[in-house]
Amino acid sequence: MLTCDHYITARTLDAAFDAMEAFAGRYRLVAGATDILPWAREGRAGDVHIEALIDISKIADLNGVVIGKSRVRLGAATPFQAFLEDRALSAVLPNMRHCAIWFACDQIRASATIGGNVANASPAADGMPALLVLNAEVELALRDTGGVRRRSVPLAELVEGPSRTSIAPGEIITSFECDALPTHGGAFEKVGHRRSLVIAVACLSVAVSLDAGRKAFDDVRIAAGGIGPKAVRLAHTEALLRGAPLDAGTIAEAAELELDLVQSRSRRDYRRAVLRGFLTRALVCAAREAGADVDVLEQTLEAVDA
Amino acid sequence: MPDLSLSVTVNGRTLHRTVPPHLRLLDLLREDLHLTGSKEGCGAGECGTCSVFVDGVLLKSCLVPAAKVDGADVETVESLGPRGALSVVQRAFHKAGASQCGYCIPGMVMAATAALRSNPRLGDEEIKERLGGNICRCTGYQKIFDAVALARDVLCGVRPASALDEEELKDGSFIGTSVRRLDAPSKVTGALRYAGDMTLPGMLHVKVLRSPHAHAVIRSLDTSEAEAMDGVAAIVTAADVPGKDGFGVFVRDQPVMARGKVRYVGEAIAAVAAEDLVTATRALAKIKVAYEILPGVFDPDAALMPGAPVLHDYAADNLVKHIPIRKGDVEAGFAAADVIIEECFETQQVEHAYLEPEAGLAYVDPDGVVTVHSPSQNITHHRHMLSDILALPINKVRMIMSPVGGGFGGKEDMIYQGMLALLAMKTGQPVRLVFTREESVSTTAKRHSARISYRMGLARDGRITASEIRAVYDGGAYGMSTEGVIRKGAILAGGPYAIPNVKIDTYGVYTNNTPSGAFRSFGSLQTQFATESMLDMAAERLGLDPFELRRRNAMRAGDTTHTQQRLDSASLLDVLAGAEGAARWERGAPVVRGAVRGDLAGEGTRPPCRLGARFAAPVPEAQAEEVA
Repeated sequence: MLTCDHYITARTLDAAFDAMEAFAGRYRLVAGATDILPWAREGRAGDVHIEALIDISKIADLNGVVIGKSRVRLGAATPFQAFLEDRALSAVLPNMRHCAIWFACDQIRASATIGGNVANASPAADGMPALLVLNAEVELALRDTGGVRRRSVPLAELVEGPSRTSIAPGEIITSFECDALPTHGGAFEKVGHRRSLVIAVACLSVAVSLDAGRKAFDDVRIAAGGIGPKAVRLAHTEALLRGAPLDAGTIAEAAELELDLVQSRSRRDYRRAVLRGFLTRALVCAAREAGADVDVLEQTLEAVDA
Repeated sequence: MPDLSLSVTVNGRTLHRTVPPHLRLLDLLREDLHLTGSKEGCGAGECGTCSVFVDGVLLKSCLVPAAKVDGADVETVESLGPRGALSVVQRAFHKAGASQCGYCIPGMVMAATAALRSNPRLGDEEIKERLGGNICRCTGYQKIFDAVALARDVLCGVRPASALDEEELKDGSFIGTSVRRLDAPSKVTGALRYAGDMTLPGMLHVKVLRSPHAHAVIRSLDTSEAEAMDGVAAIVTAADVPGKDGFGVFVRDQPVMARGKVRYVGEAIAAVAAEDLVTATRALAKIKVAYEILPGVFDPDAALMPGAPVLHDYAADNLVKHIPIRKGDVEAGFAAADVIIEECFETQQVEHAYLEPEAGLAYVDPDGVVTVHSPSQNITHHRHMLSDILALPINKVRMIMSPVGGGFGGKEDMIYQGMLALLAMKTGQPVRLVFTREESVSTTAKRHSARISYRMGLARDGRITASEIRAVYDGGAYGMSTEGVIRKGAILAGGPYAIPNVKIDTYGVYTNNTPSGAFRSFGSLQTQFATESMLDMAAERLGLDPFELRRRNAMRAGDTTHTQQRLDSASLLDVLAGAEGAARWERGAPVVRGAVRGDLAGEGTRPPCRLGARFAAPVPEAQAEEVA
């Protein structure tokens, strides 16, 4: 059971910093609260008492979405459900709705925020590979004697390992800036013990764009989660595919290239096999969404697989 | 603890409440407002029994701090239908027979309502996708999906409103007619009160101190500091049992709470009744127990070895029971066999996973009758045992069966009712205990794991000439239903097959694992899994079709079972024919033919799961009739 003496709902960044100062060392920040409540139960943290829970989900700075020409700003308290319900948003971040549909369930993703998903730094976080594909930069805010200071860090650098980030004490994640990819197609693959409400054994996010003839890859972005201490981009695979023809041979070669990235503590052979299959399927799905005719290619790859 | 002031509109009424700051929305609804249609199945966002709308968005209220709904508009299942009537979705659940135990159903109805509000014309795949956050243990989901599709069709005008009405009896007979369940309206509305939904004035809340050790002597147990805490009304231990302590279905080997010794992780040691759950929980931490750890035994075969740690003084060999069955001469049968197959099988523990965690409410009525409400699957037996334990005449003990939110055998054992009765007697106040999901999974009985050594002889034509089966069942720390389970396991071990020579031995064994108990199929699943696997292997070895092999051995009307029961009828041949047809089975030996098999896909085969049905769905037509 989670108990606290104070539940403080901050409406402004300053109110949050005031509360953090007042309860320095004795608080936890809360956004969607979908992880902290299950965490404070038997088998995980057990009964936990925290003097102050500071709810930052209603701060204006952490909410709202701004769609620019080349970049999109997402408030850190943006819930995953937004990627399913806001069509303008899914048009410029085409991989995010695929990530969201596999994330927990409709009810939990209505509360669960991208900032919380990243701050938790689970190696299997569904949001991580998807945001890495978008070259997300994380904006953090800190208040000291000089006032509120903000800094930006590439997401790939912010998360260091399981439950480890470079978020400094007293810092709040305020927003994410992502690449706008209006002409890309997206895909997401995930496997766990069941379909909904499951932690990924492995997951993969892909965004691709095509050349003018729609017969070759143009830009290719791939990131995988659940295969090691933190989610990673597949840089060599991306390089191999950029400008390469959209055919079975290329995809089969790409799917084999970086299986050594699987560095999980357990079931490495299984995850390698899964990653190979995920890459094959996700590249085809993303290419289809980007406008390619891949029906024959899909059948060829399935026949090879069988 | 400073309190939190809230203004919240619940089902149309604005309320002002002062609550503890850690309170969850689910607690506010259930405990403060007595809106118990929202259930707590897991407390961790996994099951969806607590789903409610907050400002029109469906959320799992166990994951919502109450502070988050300050100023919000909350709708619970109680608000769906006009008073005394059912909404279209609720009527569809009633019509489709979508409720069984009913515990998940209010949440399912809420999820269905949310799905139809989001997309009034959603397709069947999208129904499954949008209900993905809610778990049901009884139905297998199909009737729930049927209900949502029915509600959709009625709301969109595809089917008439009369589709929700009770079906007319066919030729005046209930047989062959889809009859609506009498208890469904109370379940689809959330009105039905399970034990954990009940409250009484002055009621205390109970938490249980449990053993962290699998096998240990309790050297000392000191509850004084916990008892002295503000808000703690009473603590009971084995010392408070006035009568003959011990319960169990066949052997009363389990004390109400650990008596001098613990035998599994999670065994109850003491129970605290306090004004609220937080106080009860904090009191547990103040109870001092000194243990002397004993070596444990966790494998039933190891427990049968000489020198193994002994759990119970009365059973130095750790044997709960041995059931032997002998028929004919198995050695002669093996001598006559053309093929002999030997194999060893292991099956695992299984959790019942009913959506309703164990719960009970007890009080002593004005006439001194100790009364316990609980979802017990065996109240009369519990009443007799409790009368001995409490040293009260039978007419001073009353067990009331509350609605069972799923049982599957898992609620047959009286594992907590004794503690509640003792606390009600000691405090003179009503007491309520509700297990957490973690407590339910880790401390209550499971399906027996088993190790089955099998030897089967067959003639070349597939006739079984002899079966020799030895099955060792892990009974865990206490006897519970083990004797009955292994008896049924023995009786049905050979399968529904006419075999001239049979030697069967099943053993139930004490170990320091979680006790095993009753579970659907009651011990036969373990041995039948082995038998049917043996027959598939035999079909492969003999080059025979597995259906044909079973037909050649099938018991028929007039045959006698291995335990000398004469069968007036036998349905195995019909069952085999039905299964063979439904599977579109391609006849032949079960050798791997991979892609050339023609019966692997097609109608009735579920393709691999893909999500995203809603991406392909057409934009919903505006102004479909609003979902009530």
